Amino acid sequence: MTSSPSETEAAEVTEHPLQGFADAVAEAVEGTAEIHFDTVKVTVPADRWLDTHSVARDELDLVFFSWLSAIDWSNEVAAGDPLSDEVEERIELMTTVGDLTEGKRVTFSTTLDKASPSIPTLIGVYAGANWHEREAAEMFGIDFEGHPELVHLYLPNGFIGNPLRKSYPLLSREVKPWPGTVDVEAMPEKEEPSTENPEA
Amino acid sequence: MIETLTSVFENFWVSLAGKLLLVALMVPLIGMVLGFAEMKLSAKMQARVGPYFAGGRWGWAQLIADGIKFFQKEDIIPEEADAPVFKAAPILVLVGTVALFVVIPFGPGLIFNDLDVGIFYALAISSLSTVGVLMAGWSSANKYSLIGGLRAAGQLIAYELPLVLAVVGTVIMAGTMSMQGIVEAQIAAGYPYVILQFVGFGIFMIAALAELTRIPFDMPIAESELVMGYVTEYSGFRFLFFFLAEFANMFTMSAIAATLFLGGYWLPGVPEDVLEFAGPFILLGKVFLLAFAMIWFRWTFPRFREDQLQSLAWKWLVPLALVNIAVTAILKVVL
Amino acid sequence: MVIDQDAMRHLSEAQVSVELATEDMTLNIGPQHPSTHGVLRLVARVDGERAYDVKPVIGYMHRGYEKLSEVRTYPQITALINRIDWVSGYANEVPFIVAAEKLMELEVPQRAQYIRLILTEMARISSHLVFMASYPLELGAATPLFFALRERERVLDLLEGVTGGRFHPNFNRIGGVKPNAGAGPTTRKTPQDLPAGFLNDTRDAMDKVLEVCDEIEDLVAGNEIILARTKGIGILPPEVAAAYGVSGPNLRASGVAFDLRKVENYLPYEDFDFSVVTGENGDCWDRWWVRLEEIRESAKIIQQAIDGMPPSGTLQAKVPKIIKVPAGETYVRAENPKGEMGYYLVSDGGLGPYRLKIRSASFSNISILPWILEGILVPDIIAIMGSLDFVLGDVDR
Repeated sequence: MTSSPSETEAAEVTEHPLQGFADAVAEAVEGTAEIHFDTVKVTVPADRWLDTHSVARDELDLVFFSWLSAIDWSNEVAAGDPLSDEVEERIELMTTVGDLTEGKRVTFSTTLDKASPSIPTLIGVYAGANWHEREAAEMFGIDFEGHPELVHLYLPNGFIGNPLRKSYPLLSREVKPWPGTVDVEAMPEKEEPSTENPEA
Repeated sequence: MIETLTSVFENFWVSLAGKLLLVALMVPLIGMVLGFAEMKLSAKMQARVGPYFAGGRWGWAQLIADGIKFFQKEDIIPEEADAPVFKAAPILVLVGTVALFVVIPFGPGLIFNDLDVGIFYALAISSLSTVGVLMAGWSSANKYSLIGGLRAAGQLIAYELPLVLAVVGTVIMAGTMSMQGIVEAQIAAGYPYVILQFVGFGIFMIAALAELTRIPFDMPIAESELVMGYVTEYSGFRFLFFFLAEFANMFTMSAIAATLFLGGYWLPGVPEDVLEFAGPFILLGKVFLLAFAMIWFRWTFPRFREDQLQSLAWKWLVPLALVNIAVTAILKVVL
Repeated sequence: MVIDQDAMRHLSEAQVSVELATEDMTLNIGPQHPSTHGVLRLVARVDGERAYDVKPVIGYMHRGYEKLSEVRTYPQITALINRIDWVSGYANEVPFIVAAEKLMELEVPQRAQYIRLILTEMARISSHLVFMASYPLELGAATPLFFALRERERVLDLLEGVTGGRFHPNFNRIGGVKPNAGAGPTTRKTPQDLPAGFLNDTRDAMDKVLEVCDEIEDLVAGNEIILARTKGIGILPPEVAAAYGVSGPNLRASGVAFDLRKVENYLPYEDFDFSVVTGENGDCWDRWWVRLEEIRESAKIIQQAIDGMPPSGTLQAKVPKIIKVPAGETYVRAENPKGEMGYYLVSDGGLGPYRLKIRSASFSNISILPWILEGILVPDIIAIMGSLDFVLGDVDR
């Protein structure tokens, strides 16, 4: 089906039903709102992280704490597909909170420095952030200041590294290439010894 | 003269040996019959088949096979356990149960020993197994076992009292503590005492369930909380001892209840000269009826909480039993 | 002999203080314990029968699905996420598939959506029936287990008939449901549809489920001991529940009438008439009651869906052979049997996601444990833990 240019333009101009809500949230927390496929995402600076959530809970009535996690935006990846476009190296910390009446929800996002990501803990605002922050701390190496018990949640005590960082290799993929070629390739240790072996 | 003396002497030892042999056979047999009944009845109540293959038909040999299995198993004693106490505990539990068989009248004259203080002896000796349970819990070096043992001790203290008090009414009515005498008193009265002592009977059965640590009072075992409590660390034949003791205890408790309240080996309308032979079967019938009720409760009810059990014992059963005694005593004097 | 009064007084005081102080015991519940639903471990300080400072220790089953998803293609991921909450494996797939479809802007055929909805509700019934089975068992009553599991088998058989799997159906495809969906021999000529007689069988099965709900209610709700063990135990106020992210039946038991089936549009729930069941006190009893009522509501939804089933037709939207999801990000959440299950999907236009955040219900639901178990009796720990109805795969992911 072909659509005339005027129609597509009209579709673009038509306001998303969530636009009003997104703008209201953005204004209340002094951030910038975007709507990605029915998901309202409001970006705020890291130093307003705590205030943002206090406002969301107290003024916007978003009392339900859904989750907290992060994304490691990285141009070099040790596992998985690399990004097609160059991005700014950063860690994006996200939470999703919602209300318990109309099903409104907002994903708050902030940017952290990748070398030493650090941000105040949200436990004082949403008590449920405790475990989510512990998870994000071990998986991404984020330091949540003021967290009472920032120890490993999933990983063993002596574990070194932050598995969900893109620089963290997935060991099974290191020894077995992916996808699809596994069956026809020999395992690395079974490979023929190099012919250039200098038999001195 | 000498000959008669020796024959008495011989008779004593022979009869003792005979009695010991009889008990030694009876306890495992009763354990198996009741255990099998429990398996089959619970299966029936839960839309299952239960044991099916062992022995060819209805799985009748299931518990024999289980018994053999228990003897084949390794006898594990935890390293941290207090070994002598750990080993003694199951024996003590079983002995406490077996000793109860002494005073159960199976028929007129069919009793191992008709003690004058029969019922008193029974109640006293039945507490012995709780000491064994406490020993098992303490010596296992396992926190769950310890909690289980302590719960058992708490339960004993709470339920020994209503158990004893529930019996007093019957003793007042019969005017004797001899088990044989209580049955004879019921025969003389012409009705089983449960008709007047229904309160005592109810209290006795509830307290007996608590003594047996069966659901709804199985907190010392509490599989989903304490992972079998005091028996957690036991394996092999030591576990079998606990298992046998549980079912043998169920039998003896039911038998005592049947004797005290349901007329024991006597059934109204049965002529006395038949009782000699029919007595044991009548008693067994009553015992299995009560045992069935216990099994029924077990698979119907969930378990109480320890504090709920204590408040049930102290706030309801003990006062009720005391009132029952008072009423019985007054009626006895007045009538 | 001269008695040193001071020393005596000192001694008596010392004795008083010695008597008052009792040593606490540290009790490890789990990771191997019949009531921890797998490998949850609780470390509690117990004083007599009372527990303090209960610390859940999780991670014994962490499988790293978020990392694994980054090296898998989109169609492969559904096989992974089936294993998150294995008691309701089918329901896990739906929000992820919907998220991918949202980014691809696909229009899923109505019939496929109805099939998804029926299967999701069947997964809910089977999950809640497991709860109906296991919860009385944790309180010591073994018999309801068999009645509940018998009905669950009925539901799982139907689920297996359609998808081929009892626990891990892996049935959804981006754009619809599996081609040749359970249509007997998978020749090209067979119509791509549900197995013959499935709709009628399901309707009958739902009648049976409704019947057995009454049976379970008689058996469990009519039992004084169950009431004594659950009423007023483990009260969870709605505001605490919300702050901890407790969702699903646990939240509704606290009196919050919030159901994602009513407010989100991941499946066509707006076509059906069903009510959101709420409790009053937020105690263990209400959590049990809400789940029982939800089984009834789900059975009614399924019967309505069968009545309103769109006619046979395609079950799959047009998708390319190699599925690449356009760049974008979205969060899709769904009302799973255990609570809010959501996926934050970040795509870069490749074969697999750049990042997939899995928000699982049980993780947040049991993060309430340290709060709710403070100063509770040991038997009540089991009663409360059981009433939260978690699955360790859903906690650890």
